[in-house]
Order: sequence, then C-alpha cells, then structure tokens
Amino acid sequence: MTLNTVLRLTAATLVLGPGLAFAAGPQEGETLAESQTFTYRLLDEVPTLDPQLNEDVSGSNVQRDLFEGLMNQDAEGNLVPGVATGYTTADGNRTYVFTLRDDAKWSNGDPVTAGDFVYAWRRAIDPATASPYAWFVEMTTMANASKILAGELPPEELGVEAVDDQTLKVTLEESIPYFAAMTTTSTLFPAHRATIEEFGSEWTRPGNMVSNGAYVLSEHVPNEYHTRTKNPEYWDAENVHITEVTGLVINDVNQALTRYLAGELDMIEPLPAGQFPELKERYPDQATSVPRLCTYYYSFNMTDSANPALQDVRVRRAMSYAIDRDVIVNAVLKGGQSPAYIFTPPFTASFEPPATAYEDMTQKERDAEAVRLMEEAGYGKDSPLTLRLIYNTSENHQKIATVMAQMWKQKLGVSVEMQNFEWKTFLEIRKNQEFDVARGAWCGDYNEASTFLQLMVSDNSQNDGRFANDEVDALMLETKTMDDPNPNYAQVEAILEQEVPVIPVYHYANVFMLNPAIKGWPYGNVENNWYSKDFYKLAE
Amino acid sequence: MISYILRRLLVAIPTILVLIVLSFLMMHYAPGGPWSSERAFPQAVIDALNAKYGLDEPLWRQIASYTWNIVAHFDFGPSLYYKDRSVSDLIAQGFPVTLTYGFWSFAVAVAVGGSLGIAAAVWHNSWLDYLAVGISIGAQVLPNFVMAPILVLVFTLWLGWLPGGGWQGGAFPYVVMPVIALSTSFMASIARITRSSMLEVLNAGFIRTARAKGLPMRRIVLRHALKPALLPVISYLGPAFVGMITGSVVIDIYFSTGGIGQYFVNSALNRDYFVIMGVTILTGALTVLFNLVVDILYAWIDPKIRY
Repeated sequence: MTLNTVLRLTAATLVLGPGLAFAAGPQEGETLAESQTFTYRLLDEVPTLDPQLNEDVSGSNVQRDLFEGLMNQDAEGNLVPGVATGYTTADGNRTYVFTLRDDAKWSNGDPVTAGDFVYAWRRAIDPATASPYAWFVEMTTMANASKILAGELPPEELGVEAVDDQTLKVTLEESIPYFAAMTTTSTLFPAHRATIEEFGSEWTRPGNMVSNGAYVLSEHVPNEYHTRTKNPEYWDAENVHITEVTGLVINDVNQALTRYLAGELDMIEPLPAGQFPELKERYPDQATSVPRLCTYYYSFNMTDSANPALQDVRVRRAMSYAIDRDVIVNAVLKGGQSPAYIFTPPFTASFEPPATAYEDMTQKERDAEAVRLMEEAGYGKDSPLTLRLIYNTSENHQKIATVMAQMWKQKLGVSVEMQNFEWKTFLEIRKNQEFDVARGAWCGDYNEASTFLQLMVSDNSQNDGRFANDEVDALMLETKTMDDPNPNYAQVEAILEQEVPVIPVYHYANVFMLNPAIKGWPYGNVENNWYSKDFYKLAE
Repeated sequence: MISYILRRLLVAIPTILVLIVLSFLMMHYAPGGPWSSERAFPQAVIDALNAKYGLDEPLWRQIASYTWNIVAHFDFGPSLYYKDRSVSDLIAQGFPVTLTYGFWSFAVAVAVGGSLGIAAAVWHNSWLDYLAVGISIGAQVLPNFVMAPILVLVFTLWLGWLPGGGWQGGAFPYVVMPVIALSTSFMASIARITRSSMLEVLNAGFIRTARAKGLPMRRIVLRHALKPALLPVISYLGPAFVGMITGSVVIDIYFSTGGIGQYFVNSALNRDYFVIMGVTILTGALTVLFNLVVDILYAWIDPKIRY
C-alpha cells in the first residue's frame, strides 16, 4: 500500500464521520477506577510549553494534551480528525483545504477558528519569534516560508489562509503527500492570539495559558512536576476519561524505576540499560518493548579529512559486515531493538523494506567476506589500519563503541582510537568532519521513509560523513512527485548497501513500564505519540 | 570594624566583575553553543535566535550589556534553554528550595558533627572516640550519589515511609532524605575538624590551669575550650554553608527537589549561557559574603584578631 493510498483511505474514513475514530474506549465488562489519574516520569523539565517553540519529544507529549492540531493520530499511528473533520487536496498535493469542526473551543470558551492556525503558523516562521523549529514550517514547503524565515518577506505572506472561520487553505511550493500527517506536530498547533499578546513569554504559566486540547495546565513547578486537568470546554470532553495527568521530573533512571515500583507512577520510560529482560520476567504485564521510529548508525567520514583508506568501498563494506548486530541487540542492549541492515526502519509506514544481500548471510559468512575484502584492499593483521571513532559520552554508546571496536580489532585487525565527548562538543566535532567513524542516530520527524533517506542527500545538513551521490540526489528529488515512491526508496537503499557511507546498527525500541490498569496505550504507534485523552484506568 | 566591612564589600565589586568576564569568556569559547543539536538548524534559524538573544553582537558588547542590565535593572537575562523563563524566574523558584534543604543540612551537620567531634576529643581514645571516628569516616566515604538511591530503596520502596522525591513546597516528608544525603559528608568533616582542634585546645596550657583549679570538665569544655576550638571549624563552615545553600546537583537529580543545584551542571551541558552566569554570580556573591561573615565571627571569637 502506498502512502497516497493510505492517505486516501484515511481521508475516506474521515468522511464516514468521527464514530469510527473513537471506537477505542472502555469496553463492556470493564470497571473504571474511581480516580482517573495518570502519573508519568519526565526525564527532564520540559524546556518550553509553547507549542511553536517546542523542539523536544517530552514537550510534544505535554502539548498534544494541552493543544489539538488539525489532525491527531490513533493507537496505530493513523491520522484521525482533530480540530479538522477532514481535508481535500488539489494541485497534486500542493493545496490542502481543511474543514474545521464548529464546536472546537479554547479553554476560555472562545471558538477555535482557522484564524488561530494562521496566527500560530505565521508566529512559528516569524524570525522575531526565533523558534528553533521554524525549519519544520520550512520543511512543509509552505509558500514563502523560506523567504519569511530569511527576513525577505513579512510573515503575512505565508501560504496559509483562513477562507472563513471553518476553512483553512494551505498552499505548498512542492508536492508533499504527507502534509496532513505533519499537522500532528506541535509547531503547527493553533495559538490563542489574545493570550500571547497579553502575557508575552509568560503566557504558558498556569492561569495565563488558554489552550484547546483535552487538558489545561493547572500547576507547574519547574524541575519538579506539572499537572494538567481535564478541559471541560474540549469538544469531545464526554469521551475523555483521565481527569488528571501529572508529569514528575525524575532525572535518574534508576530512581524512576524504584519510585514506579513503589507505586508512585503509572508509566516510566525508558528503563535502566540492560534491565528489560529481568523486568519482563518479573513484571510481564508491565514491562513493554515496542518498535520506535529511529535508527542507530555509524557514519564514515567520506571527505579528505578522514583516513584515506575509507575512500575504498571495500574497507567500508568489510567494517560494516564485521559488526555482529545480533550481539549488540541481544547481549548489549537487551531491550527488544532490532538489528539494522538498511537505514530506514522496516516498520516505517507504507515503506516496503528492500532485501539486502548481507542480511541473509550468516555472521560467519559476513566475517569471511569482510576479511577477504580487507585483504583485497591491502589491509590486514600485518598492515593494520588505525581509525578514530567518536561518540558522545553515555554508558550505552560506550558499550556499543567498545563492542564494535573489539569486533573490528579481532576480525580485521583494525585498531580503533575511541574518543568520547560531551554532547555539544561532540556535535561540533562531528559537524566539522574531524573523525573517521562517528556515532549517529535519527528519529523520524514524520512516519514516512523520506525523513530518513533525505539524510543521504549530499547537501543535507544531517549528512555528517558528507556522502555525495548524484543518483541518490536525483532519486530523492523525484520521490516528491511520485504516487508510489517505494521503488526509489528501494533504489536509494540499494545504493547505500553498495557504497556503505553508513553502518546501520539497530532500529530503536521504546522500552517502558506501564501500570496494567491503564488501558488505551498506543502500542502500535511507532512514533510513540500518545494522547492522555485516549487512556482510561481500570479498577484494581 | 564598620570601615573594614565597607572596604571588604567594595573589594567584592571588582572581584565579581572579574568573575563575570572570566566566566563569560570561558563559556563563549567552549565548543558548541546553545543552538547546536542533533538536528543542525538552518542558518536562518540560528541567525534569528542569535538576533533575539543578542548573541550576534561583538563579545565585549555582550558582556557590557549583560553587566549593565544586572546593575541597572537587576535583570539576569533569559534562559536560552527554558525558553519561556528568565534566569531570575528560575533562581527565584529554585533558590528557596536549596536554601531550605541546605540550611537544614547545615544545621544537622553542625549539630551532629560538632557533638561527635567534641565527645571524641573529650573522651579521647575511649570507645566513644572510636565510634565517633568510625561514624565520620563511614559518612565521608559514602558519597551522596550512593546514599541517595539506597535511602529511596529503603524508605520508599521497602518501608513505604517517605515519598521517593519531589518537594511540595518543602513539606517535612520531602525534606528528610535530601537533608540526610546532603548533610552526612559535611557532618563527617565537621566532626573530624572539631575533634582535632578540640584535642589541641584541651592540651593547651590554659586548660591545664583550669583543670588544676579543679573546675568540672563540663565547664572547662563549654566555657574555655569550645570557643578557641571552633576557629578552624568556622573557617570551614563559611564555604561549606555556601556550598549547601546553593544546592547539590546530586540531591536535585536524585530527589527531584527542583532546586538550583542541577543548573550548575545542566546549564553548562545545555550551553544555557545566562543561567550559567546567573548561578555563577549567585555563588560568587554568596561566597564573598560568607567569607566576610566568617572573618567577623573570627574577630568576635578571638579577641586577638582585630581589623
């Protein structure tokens, strides 16, 4: 099934009306707990509660409760109506017209109108707002976004218009078949103009904030906790069961687990490294691992600043083959992650993962091939290769780097000089290509393969190894106008297998503990986007 | 005395200015910056952010306007990481927390550590001495990042007596574990310093005289020995007090207290420039202040010292 058919099907279900979208909820025979509360762990204080400024996963979880965008996601990650009841596309996915429901309200009772989205989106791209996520609006290719961001046009020129209170028309510069899915990101949530103008940067404080989601912010003590309570003005409030959601900031992962086991929390993520198997055995109905839309990989530096041996594809392939991904996944991480042989996670929506030759080989065969390639390239135990590997300081990254270096040393005689750096220093070094091999990871901005494969385009700022291949560039450009881009994605993946600019290591899993009384968790949503309004708590 | 205090306070001004300039420079030249992230932002985004926060100005102007805003408006700037908060906001919210658990930790450390030290010295080489030394060595070698998780394991998970973290405005059950975890190593140091200085004083000539007069031991210790024995303890207590009330990253991380201790580490990792500056200036100013307090206490305790 191609992405477009998915979206067409989604659009079709939208026409059927909201009934289908809200089938999930307490089932017959289930008794709800008297107190419908949900308490979960936040690793850190959420940097901002302003949806247009947010750049953070944990912040997105909060904002999806406090605000509602045009579209939402269901438990499988499919698009369902939010403030919009549906949309139509025209001009080859360059024009989107959303129809807004007429009963959507802000928490102060004001109606949510198309103008609130126009205001918010202009605000997000306005250089005066200086949103770190302004690039997201730019990425939608909304008309004039780049020029507004560069200060060449005023924000009023952005390609979004309120035709009337219930009709929002969006004009894109390029064909973006997944634009509707992008509206589930907090950058594109609506904003209440009067509140922001009245309170300035303090509009996100409890008492000041006016929001349109299923919850309102009732308490917030930075670095300790915040509480969101059910919004009686929410258009679907009668189907919202959880009345109070609390996010407790607990920096230390072991401390979070202890407090979960003491019954202070309903959900914690992630779990302490390596403890998943044991927790799964002791708490089989609570410890959970689900796929997560991210890839962990190592980049080869393809520029002149690297060891010249890395210009030889045989060396790169040998190093990729020599990595026993099963060992990393099963012996180091132990959290349900899956070994990666391609760059795009195979569970990405509407993506047809292409087969690779080396995936079907045994590790023994891969090792033998790696030794042969390395010898052919003129390196071996007698003429060893020395490479500089960098990663950012973290227990897990260190374990993986150590295991990989060991595999290269034992199998290929490659000496690895391992260097770790504090995060921001690491980013600077990696950005300047001061490495031979560097750790990298990428999580999808949206659930479609291009969010991964765009990284391999030569001018992409995330392309840390500066891999440049004209064919990849052309193929990725072409996908934008294709009904079914899968053949191109497969070709790009085939080129990556051929050229080995990166070593895919594993695809992520989200590993967490969830109180078994909490129902409605979106296990099938690979972006791990959850909405508290979809949960309910059973009586113990 | 008054003129001495005034002179000291005047000297504090250039000290803090030097602190500001040095910290600003070190921060500025650290690799990376507030906007570096896994995703490399487009240049237009970085330009907009720099313009908004004045980071596009030449360095000397940034330092000058930062200092001027503090002097003229008592404005410590915005947080670059917590985008809807100012540095003053964050400190105003977090400092009362660390002040509370820091103050109680200080009180506990002084009371317990001081008593242990005095008892150990008075009953030198008795079982009490060995016990006190044992306790203080034990407390010294058990770092608070080991103790914090053990406390939570025991009092929250096993016994269920205390909440595992949080602050709730400083309600008693939330303060207990942070205070225990923070005070122990200070308590151990205070006990050791008190013990050795007390021992030294007890062997001094004037104490021998007092004993020869037949004064009771209690009176000798409290009336004659305590004051001089406290001098070295007090010079330790000044910086220790500042260290405690400006919080501890370990306490904040393990007990989710929401204090300012965590900013010392996190603001540096996040390159949250103005928060780094804010906590540095706060600690600097408090250190200057409490060193002065210590000097004044010295003069009060030891009549030989005159300023």
